[in-house]
Amino acid sequence: MNRSDATRQVLWNIEHVWVMYALLVPTTLIAAYGVYRRVRQWRKGQSENRFDRPVERLRLVVAYALLQLRTWRRAYPGVFHAMLFWGFVILFIATCVVLIDYDFGIPIMRGEFYLIFQSLIVDIFGVLAIVGVLMAAARRFITRPKYLVYTTESAVILLLVFAILVTGFLVEGWRIAATDDPWGAWSPFGNLVANASRPLMTVEAMTSAHWATWWFHLFLVFGFLAWAPYTKMLHVLASTANIYTARLAPIGATLRKVDFDSEEALGIHTLAGFTWKDLLDFDACTECGRCTAVCPANRVDKLLSPRDIILDLQRLARDPVGDFAEPFLGKTDALSAEAFWECTTCAACVEACPVSIEQFPKIVDARRYLVMEEAEFPDTMQQALTSLETRGHPMRGTSFSRVDWMQGLDVPTVADVKDADVLVWVGCGGALVERNQSVVRALVQLLKAAGVKFAVLGREEKCNGDPARRIGNEFLFEQLAQENIATLEKHKVKTIVTSCPHCFNTFANEYPQFGGRFEVFHHSQYLAKLVDEGKLAGKSPLGQRVTFHDPCYLGRHNGEYDAPRQLVQISTKNAPVEMQQTRSNSFCCGGGGGMSFVDEPPDKRVNQERARQVLETVADVVAVGCPFCMTMLEDGINATKGDREVRVMDVAELLWQTVEPAPPDS
Amino acid sequence: MSDVACYLFASSGMDRAAQGVLGAARRLADATGGKLHAIVVGPANEDVSGGAAAVADAVAVVDHPALAEYNPELYLTALADVCQKITPRAILLGNDTYSQELAARLAHRLGGSAAGDAVNVSADGDTIRVTRGVYGGKAVATIGLKRSPAVVWVRARAMEPADGAGRSAGSVESVSPELADDGRVKVVSRHVEAREGVRLEDAQLIVSGGRGLGGPEPFEKLQALADTIGAQMAASRAACDAGWVPPSWQVGQTGKKVAPELYLAIAISGASQHIMGIADAKVICAINTDADAPIFKHCTFGLVEDYDKVVGPLCEILSQSK
Amino acid sequence: MNLVVCIKQILDPEIPARDFRVDAAARVAERGGANLVMNIFCENALESALQCREANEGKITALSVGTDEAEDVLRKALALKVDEAILVSGGESSNPDPAFVAKTLAAAVRKIGEYDVVLVGREAGDWGAGQTGGLLAEELGVPCVSFAESIEPGGSDGTVQVKRQTDNGWELLEVATPLVVTITNHDKNVPRIPKTRDVMQSYRKPLTKWTLDELDVDPSSANDYYEVAELSIPQKETKCEFIEGDTLEDKIGAFAKRLGDVIRSI
Ligand SMILES: Cc1cc2nc3c(=O)[nH]c(=O)nc-3n(C[C@H](O)[C@H](O)[C@H](O)COP(=O)(O)OP(=O)(O)OC[C@H]3O[C@@H](n4cnc5c(N)ncnc54)[C@H](O)[C@@H]3O)c2cc1C
Ligand code: SF4
Ligand code: SF4
Repeated sequence: MNRSDATRQVLWNIEHVWVMYALLVPTTLIAAYGVYRRVRQWRKGQSENRFDRPVERLRLVVAYALLQLRTWRRAYPGVFHAMLFWGFVILFIATCVVLIDYDFGIPIMRGEFYLIFQSLIVDIFGVLAIVGVLMAAARRFITRPKYLVYTTESAVILLLVFAILVTGFLVEGWRIAATDDPWGAWSPFGNLVANASRPLMTVEAMTSAHWATWWFHLFLVFGFLAWAPYTKMLHVLASTANIYTARLAPIGATLRKVDFDSEEALGIHTLAGFTWKDLLDFDACTECGRCTAVCPANRVDKLLSPRDIILDLQRLARDPVGDFAEPFLGKTDALSAEAFWECTTCAACVEACPVSIEQFPKIVDARRYLVMEEAEFPDTMQQALTSLETRGHPMRGTSFSRVDWMQGLDVPTVADVKDADVLVWVGCGGALVERNQSVVRALVQLLKAAGVKFAVLGREEKCNGDPARRIGNEFLFEQLAQENIATLEKHKVKTIVTSCPHCFNTFANEYPQFGGRFEVFHHSQYLAKLVDEGKLAGKSPLGQRVTFHDPCYLGRHNGEYDAPRQLVQISTKNAPVEMQQTRSNSFCCGGGGGMSFVDEPPDKRVNQERARQVLETVADVVAVGCPFCMTMLEDGINATKGDREVRVMDVAELLWQTVEPAPPDS
Repeated sequence: MSDVACYLFASSGMDRAAQGVLGAARRLADATGGKLHAIVVGPANEDVSGGAAAVADAVAVVDHPALAEYNPELYLTALADVCQKITPRAILLGNDTYSQELAARLAHRLGGSAAGDAVNVSADGDTIRVTRGVYGGKAVATIGLKRSPAVVWVRARAMEPADGAGRSAGSVESVSPELADDGRVKVVSRHVEAREGVRLEDAQLIVSGGRGLGGPEPFEKLQALADTIGAQMAASRAACDAGWVPPSWQVGQTGKKVAPELYLAIAISGASQHIMGIADAKVICAINTDADAPIFKHCTFGLVEDYDKVVGPLCEILSQSK
Repeated sequence: MNLVVCIKQILDPEIPARDFRVDAAARVAERGGANLVMNIFCENALESALQCREANEGKITALSVGTDEAEDVLRKALALKVDEAILVSGGESSNPDPAFVAKTLAAAVRKIGEYDVVLVGREAGDWGAGQTGGLLAEELGVPCVSFAESIEPGGSDGTVQVKRQTDNGWELLEVATPLVVTITNHDKNVPRIPKTRDVMQSYRKPLTKWTLDELDVDPSSANDYYEVAELSIPQKETKCEFIEGDTLEDKIGAFAKRLGDVIRSI
């Protein structure tokens, strides 16, 4: 027996193979029609260009579709999904090998390759796939986590996949046993079936069982192939397409401009308003529920569920008698205005989605409709926007002006200093909320200590527009953006440093849409740079244990996780104590998306949930890098801390404590 | 032409407001060296005409079947009629809604000038000057009225009553104006909101709630507290606008002007327009979560806390210590 | 019903007290960086008018006497879908003269022609004179009802029913048209927010401008009603004693004690 001759007889026991080919035709047609139906649907969407930079896009496909990097973030489903996915990929390749060898007559199913790949590896991956199915079934039928969607379809799919795999092994086992395949041992699990069958069945019995099961297996496979595009299995195709056409810019740059000259409704309230990419998003959803599981609003038992927004829209889009021009708002709980008004735009959903679906931008699109076409939105948000409109800031009822925080500090304004290197953008949260004034004070004192030539706009500053944009008043946002860009250009500003991640994000990712291009630093980045350059040095480390709360608009929206941690490290000589949910998996403070202007029901407060996570650590201080996080966390911690003493401090305040020159000895 | 007139509602009785108007008018008449005429409109009320006579030099009691109940057009005509005969230099009214409704129109009919919500009225040579809060209480203006007569409605309850000593009672005369009701304004119905105890304007103790309470239910908790200490309830405009409490509870520039010994503001930020209504309170104190809320700038003492955690226990302690 | 709503533009009444300055010599408030806004009671009046038109047929004309900047508040009224907007400019003065404003408004209302109800705010958030409505009624020779919160057509033709607030409740009046009502705030007339689409369109709608000349109003008659002799910012700040305590109970106890002391001293 020469290993180089190793092979097996394809279709050993099967006659009338033409039946298989004949069946393949309708199978392919049905499946193709299923796919075509979807593609036709996507093409109904508004236009959007998502085909630039193909190399980067292919890289995304490799990372997220093939290696499924995001799926792995959740261990258990990550493992079984990989087993299933790779199991089927290998089985598919094996089928192709057979095709090439048998149908095209190119003898490749031979020798070492036959033994190692076609027998051993295929066999192992087949078993892994079975284990995967069992794990998935255990989750679906035994542990039943809340974030999953429980449909009969999903159950049937699992059963079908299981049956396909098991019948495959039976066919293999009986063939090995009946033909006394000398290479049987190379298929260890098939061989197991063979060995188990030998004492129980005669060769004839095995031969006919093989025949029957082979055809049954074929029917199952073809049936599955034909049916798949009509089920959630469509995600295999749609998600790959979705990953290829994913957003390449940071999450913070996702929101689109609105065409105010168009006669169509502002914002989106019907399926017809979506782009093809949005429609593709709906079909790409795998129902995995990760987005809803990480959604802070959902975590505190609010109505909002990004998964259900996507799935309900998917269902409406797939409804054969559905009308794209019919409003979807209010059609289901998930699509109700109430739910849309609970989103903090934290982007946890977008970050978590294994297949690059963009959930919250759709929420903002719906809000745009509600605000701009219906003028129906929560009172307190209305007040914030009215204030924004008339006073240029959303902090209704503040008793401060934009310059009060400077008292006693001698802060240069652009009127005094014409050649400043950087502009410190104070922000409404920094100037008009007392607690944050000390953050801005710390920042400018640090800049002074480092000898940076800076200036502030003073009374010329206006809100950057972030709350308006996220609440959905794009019109107001555009006005503010244009005014601010004009002001900044008037003063020849090139570089901006701001202690507010929302301002940071707007300048970095959104003003370019309106022609405003500036170099922007979050203050943590700029201070870390000054430390690196040796212009600032922490003198005496603070003896405090510090944890860091990632601001959504710095972290997830812009990918900066390290600079603020570096400042904590310098201030305390220790890396921050991390919370359970940290970095890209951080949990929102509850203040984004205009939510800091809303009174949440007392038992459903996102900030208190985050505060509890802070209190789970041993930290004495929770460091923040955002004025909204500051007020939300202070409030949340005060409400939940009990006897614990935990302070909320901005990273700039921490750093200033260690840098601040000691008062001269008297 | 240096006489002063003041206008009183017969049906309101000789309350603190009427006393305040009389007091202010008396002092003004003394300053101008003129006589004080009290004009009492409405169904005869001995209390009012007698009380007015004790302060004024002359009392005109204007009674007419058409004046049995307040009707803006008829009251205005009657009042203008009497004033035309007296030709006073100044006419003072209280700051109740009916008086406010009449004042400017009265001035117009008599060819004079009006000003309102006066915290002080004085005569400076020929001009009558009025001091009043403007810009929602953020500024104070002194306004000189150029035309005569000067028609002024004053913060009646903040005005000292006249000292009755050493004055002989004024004359009381009945006047019956000619009135023809053209029927253009008919009062269909009047509704008085139930409120136990004294009127808000006269209350010694007031518990007041604002937008920070978040809804009508918490006002019940505040009511319990008010009941414990025998206080009246009030509210900020934001709470009234939200429909949590009736509009008559509103205190401030455009609500009631109150002057209690103690004003407890709960979850009220203390906007200047609100402060305008409580400027005459002796002690203001507040419960507010925001240590920086402007209300504290007007407080003798204050508590930075969530009202929800405080009001219940406070109620208990105060009811025990009674 | 034909409704005319008078709208005043004022300095933002929500300027924080510590940011508010006056020019004592000129006896005017300094504008600083603050914005001009629609007087809040005019917003209430506009809302009451809109609701009346929604429930019945009718037409709303927004009317403002002011500077050219007052176009902004009329645009806002247009965004809220009034049928017509008229700005009377030319007689502006930094100091208030309610009699002159009333006279000008009356001339404009007469020029508008047919009207049933003129709605004005009970007072303005700047000078707060509270006289424009009454004086306007006198100029027009029609009845006036003050502190109204809503209007609707009355029981018989040519009348309106006005619900208005009194010191201790409310009353319902039936008044023959034409008349003037002054509107106060109520939970039913909290101003609505315009839709963005309508805001955008408001800039394309016509806005009529009249001058004093066209109305035959003599500008020299301004400022003979009263004069502002002094304007100042009262300097009064009480030092607040913040009640402290280690626990919540301590704080409440101390607070209760202070309250009790005051109550007993009465
Ligand atoms: C022309 C004009 C006239 C006006 N007239 C009046 C008037 O007559 N009367 C009047 O009141 N207003 C008047 N206003 C409105 C005034 O400007 C303010 O808008 C209003 O007084 C605000 O009411 P507020 O204090 O209840 O609400 P807010 O200003 O919203 O304050 C709510 C307060 O509650 C606090 N708070 C929140 N939650 C809690 C909690 N759990 N526990 C404790 N505290 C909490 C907050 O810190 C905040 O300070 C007028 C405005 C204008 C322009
Ligand atoms: S952005 Fe955040 S709050 Fe909004 S749906 Fe996504 S996870 Fe939920
Ligand atoms: S949207 Fe993404 S994360 Fe959410 S359920 Fe669908 S596939 Fe999962």
